[in-house]
Amino acid sequence: MHLHKYEKIWLMFGVGSLVVFLLVIGIGAFYKGTHPQSQMTTIDPQNVEANEAFKQENLGLTKVDENKYILNVVASAFNYDLGVDEEGAQVKSIRVPKGSTVLFHVTSKDVVHGFELAGTNVNMMVEPGYVSSYETVMEKPGEYTLVCNEYCGTGHHLMYATVEVYE
Amino acid sequence: MTSLHHQKDEKANKKESPDLKGTFISVMMLGLFILASWFGVYALFVIR
Repeated sequence: MHLHKYEKIWLMFGVGSLVVFLLVIGIGAFYKGTHPQSQMTTIDPQNVEANEAFKQENLGLTKVDENKYILNVVASAFNYDLGVDEEGAQVKSIRVPKGSTVLFHVTSKDVVHGFELAGTNVNMMVEPGYVSSYETVMEKPGEYTLVCNEYCGTGHHLMYATVEVYE
Repeated sequence: MTSLHHQKDEKANKKESPDLKGTFISVMMLGLFILASWFGVYALFVIR
């Protein structure tokens, strides 16, 4: 089979890039622990409280260890349920200290939503029937907006909350 | 129409190979763009 010289070079370039990409992603996945955020754990969207993490009293920020937190959120149209505070009011903002490891556990009661902490690596889909999770270290102090980046209906643009990382 | 073209071709009796240098350069530039943007986004991921 006769291949033009340019085609040989282009093929080598193409296959070479593919090998590099796969190596980088492979090392990230198996050695560094990067993994898909959703489609791993299933849940009944009509009964999210059956899952321990999404019972009303467990929603929101929970400290599990020194500098380790879990944030359980139930997304619905058009709200992120971050639990209630001591007075019983809906929590709209979360505060964590700088350098803390936060594990985000999110599920949806109705339609597909997004879950993005703008400016961080926390960015995932939230599908009804699945629990999406992502663990990250909040290194940079600041105020991050939690937005829904997957169109979910007429109130989609009103779906947001805040996470503040303080010094 | 095709038979006329065929006659012209036989008369000229030249083997015409298309000049692929331009295509090659464009395609390599596209490849570099893909590589650059891939690593750009990966860098963003690692930094955050």
